[in-house]
Amino acid sequence: MIKNDPIIVANDLTIAYELHRERKKLVALQNINLEVDPGEFVVLVGPSGCGKTSFINAISGLVPKASGSVTVRGSEVTGPGPDRAMVFQDYALLPWRTVESNVRMPFEFQDLGISEAEKNKRVKECLELVDLTGFEKSFPYELSGGMKQRVGIARALITSPDILLADEPFAAIDAMTREAMQAEMERIVMETGQTCVFITHSIDEAILLGDRVIVISYRPGKIKEVVNVNFPRPRMNNSDVKTSKEYAELRDHIWNLVKDEASQTNRGE
Amino acid sequence: MAATKNKSLQQFDTDDPNRIQDIGWTFKEVWRRARGTVVVSINLITFFILWELVVIYADINPLFLPKASEMFAELWVGLTTRAPEGAVFSGSILDHFLHSFNNLMFGLALACLIGIPGGLLMGGNKYIEAILSPYVWALASLPRIALVPLFILFLGFTTKMQVTIIVISAVFPIMINSWAGVKTTEKSLLAAARVFGANRVQLYVKVVLPYTLPFIISGIQQGIGRGLIGVVIAELFGGSSGLGYLIQRSADTFNTAMTFAVLLLLIVMSLSLINFTRWLEAYVAPWRNVNHI
Repeated sequence: MIKNDPIIVANDLTIAYELHRERKKLVALQNINLEVDPGEFVVLVGPSGCGKTSFINAISGLVPKASGSVTVRGSEVTGPGPDRAMVFQDYALLPWRTVESNVRMPFEFQDLGISEAEKNKRVKECLELVDLTGFEKSFPYELSGGMKQRVGIARALITSPDILLADEPFAAIDAMTREAMQAEMERIVMETGQTCVFITHSIDEAILLGDRVIVISYRPGKIKEVVNVNFPRPRMNNSDVKTSKEYAELRDHIWNLVKDEASQTNRGE
Repeated sequence: MAATKNKSLQQFDTDDPNRIQDIGWTFKEVWRRARGTVVVSINLITFFILWELVVIYADINPLFLPKASEMFAELWVGLTTRAPEGAVFSGSILDHFLHSFNNLMFGLALACLIGIPGGLLMGGNKYIEAILSPYVWALASLPRIALVPLFILFLGFTTKMQVTIIVISAVFPIMINSWAGVKTTEKSLLAAARVFGANRVQLYVKVVLPYTLPFIISGIQQGIGRGLIGVVIAELFGGSSGLGYLIQRSADTFNTAMTFAVLLLLIVMSLSLINFTRWLEAYVAPWRNVNHI
């Protein structure tokens, strides 16, 4: 098969934040070069404060970049767009809206030229996809953490975006629910064929979900190593993967990469 | 049926209508709901009976503490009679209550009209915030009672003066709460709305405003408390009508039962208004206080 053009290209991307109080600029990410192919699942791992979130926000268009560029399908990212959607760590659901209304939110904000009937159908499909049928009229505060995040995922899928961005989506979810959510994430991305950029602190999560795991170093964030993961999918309910020798080796390898960086975090730079 | 009831929730499919079961009106359910009211009623009735007995048996001078029954009698008479047309002075509690209540409502409405847009603008625009905030903090931190002589000087012993004091008392909690609501809108909600394509107007209308609504209501709740202080103070200082005036007058004429009756009425009015806003807050923003549901 011929290799497709990459869908996301980061070219020498640098992101800096101004710390007004200290009259300094904090470089969160420095000279990031990365290409993501369509349909690829890329996972970013790295210590807290290494700029993973900045990277994902640069792709979503939330954060202005200091220099370099991010392009999606060849055009420069200048702001959010319907081709990209995001799943947030703290769910970020509007608490005054029902599940259905939260999922429908992207349709309200952007005019995609879709008929009302088509919108209703999409909402129904997406809620079905994340297994939330029957909870349309519930409010987020009535749901468990795992269910809230499924609403978050449904909302991200509603406009059928090409790119799904996820910022530690399962970090606040208990371990048992998390495994189920990872399996669902893998299934959904396999079904929809979306490109996914995913941040996590969990190395297991990174290996189980990612086609490529990108290890980012501590401040300023640079790409330390790109690790390819070649296990067949679906991996989540396949116990052979987790018990295999390669899995253990891969885990060790990534852990060693992250460990050095994490110890730097603890020293406070 | 019994088998269905014992089935654990996990066994239901998500689209099974039996998943949400009707509890119905069992005795336990009725008691669970009525418990609070029953306990409060018994508590209050006991309190007033004890009051009555203490006054009778401890032989307390009714000038200082009237019997509870006398207070209620005074309240009943005061609320069921009105001054005749053209009377110079009314001894009717109802007349004075209506005067105070109308002033309070009018003052609160004005305070909302000034405070809510003011607070929203301050939260939404950093220039307006920078210009207005020193004055807002200065006036909010000044004990409002200190301004009363000045307003009497400006406006005389008029209803206008009384309303002005109510507005100046109530406007700042409303303004500061609205302001705080806008400023504390959760960043992740704003980020989410922006990612999904919200423009500036949509961001304000669909995220910031609904988020701020419960803040505004709790500002109004604080405003009611402050406004009531304003009502009483304005009427104590200057005026010939209103509950504050009636407290003064009844105490001056040694009608202590009426003084107590008016105080009780003030408590009931204040609690009713505050409970109404509490209910309103819980109604518009149930997510903020899940434990109460």
